[in-house]
Amino acid sequence: MEVEAYRRLFPLPFYERHLLDSVRPDTRPLHRARDTSIALGSAPFSFFFFCPFRLLLQKICPVASADGSALVKIGDTTMLAAIKLEVMTPSADAPDEGSLAIEFHMPPICSPVVRPGRPAEVAPVISKQLSDVIVSSGMINLKELSLISGKAAWMAYLDIYCLNADGSLFDAALLSAIAAFSHLQIPLVSLSDDGRVVAVTGDLLEDESTPELVNKERKLLLHSIPFSLTCILHKKYILADPTAEEESIMETSITVVLDSSEQLVSIYKPGGPVLAHTSTVKDCIVLTKHRMKELQNILEESLSAMEVV
Amino acid sequence: MATNPSTYALSQSSDSKQRLQQRRRLFQETEWTRSDGRSFHQCRPAFLRTGAANAASGSAYAEFGATKVIVSVFGPRESKKAMMYSGTGRLNCNVSYTTFSTPVRGQGSDHKEYSSMLHKALDGAIILETFPKTTVDVFALVLESGGGDLPVIVTCASLALADAGIMMYDLVASVSVSCFGRNLVIDPTSEEEACQDGTLMITCMPARNEVTQLMLTGEWTTAKINEAMELCLDACSKLAEIMRSCLKEAASGSS
Repeated sequence: MEVEAYRRLFPLPFYERHLLDSVRPDTRPLHRARDTSIALGSAPFSFFFFCPFRLLLQKICPVASADGSALVKIGDTTMLAAIKLEVMTPSADAPDEGSLAIEFHMPPICSPVVRPGRPAEVAPVISKQLSDVIVSSGMINLKELSLISGKAAWMAYLDIYCLNADGSLFDAALLSAIAAFSHLQIPLVSLSDDGRVVAVTGDLLEDESTPELVNKERKLLLHSIPFSLTCILHKKYILADPTAEEESIMETSITVVLDSSEQLVSIYKPGGPVLAHTSTVKDCIVLTKHRMKELQNILEESLSAMEVV
Repeated sequence: MATNPSTYALSQSSDSKQRLQQRRRLFQETEWTRSDGRSFHQCRPAFLRTGAANAASGSAYAEFGATKVIVSVFGPRESKKAMMYSGTGRLNCNVSYTTFSTPVRGQGSDHKEYSSMLHKALDGAIILETFPKTTVDVFALVLESGGGDLPVIVTCASLALADAGIMMYDLVASVSVSCFGRNLVIDPTSEEEACQDGTLMITCMPARNEVTQLMLTGEWTTAKINEAMELCLDACSKLAEIMRSCLKEAASGSS
């Protein structure tokens, strides 16, 4: 109990004592990220939520109300992402392109700091960062979201909900966004008589009177997928994948985003008392490279688990 | 966002209105099978677990069929500055929906009506004298709405309160019944709710045999009301058993 009191009263000295021994209070080495897992679709939600990490999910079927969804856990940080596709008329200057609308939500359940009616300040910041990264990485070819040139295209609404906020929110949000896109099933559609796009369901497919299908592909092709890692800088130490406690005590953070061909997509260092040397930034990039390989494996595992079922 | 062009959701097919009317007619008959194969007096399988979000003092996750809800409880903590002094504790409830919880994408805003109903359902069960001058916040997020949302929220919230160690007279369990012509259907799905003639929702403390909230809408006969209440109270006490075993499991697992 004395240790707990010390931790609350003198958080910084408490952490610095640990850092001297190159270990963190949750027994991680400085450069290690927390256990990470991905579940696609939401039927396994209940199992996944409470199971030990990477215990694989038996039954996977998509959320009834969304076209693609994923639940991601990094340590205790939990994100639920879901994509809903709607039809829009494309703008005149890009007649054969669909569109993306990305929003990050922090409902009051996720953290004691957030209260209803007063949205968290970081939420719009992360929203903007996410859409910048996803658009600029070129992961999604907007032309693939086109249905009929100049007439109809998909608008993909991606909503990410933080269910539990325990640090590294951007990393978890980006991972859940990617996972939701790789789970996305595009509905088959045809054009009705009054010029609206309507869904074609399974039993109608066999029917001969069904009008011609507008689209064939049910999956989006993801090009160069971006992965990110957030690190905390404190004195000469670099702490990968910080928890909420670490973020509140040591304020300088740096987020590096790399795509699958190891090209830099973004570096984000929002001020903070520690100035980063070039060498520190380079170290962070190397850490992100390692993390990217881990995340790629985890994503592939979850995708193949989905295909088996 | 103002810059977004207007969009519309896919409609399943042009004859969906006809289908709805067909269903409505079907539900008026004496014999029909429910889409998930349950009998009229059978509840959906319930999955309850505490400790869903550990940033909170207590939390619970509930899944009843397609309805999925997370509730977090914070506090007792300092009341808002603008609040008047109060010798007893305060309860603050908020219910919100995700944008993808309904078949057509919503705004994901707060649900004021459910927030106040949740407050009223829980208010009588909590011993507010045990945390004077402070507030307990109960926040619910509906991840997916599959019918019978409010009863699930109330049940889940009382479990989260127990998980947070807030003193209560008893657990609060809640079940709703829909009325279709001559039939009473317990724990309706959203499809059934769309066609119902009337609904009765009871939230009660089964061990004390007390009702904290009762809501009745639509057309009912006295005999039907009695029958529906019996049905609800019976289901509530069974639900409370499940809730209790869930709490016991959590307690034995952590110790």
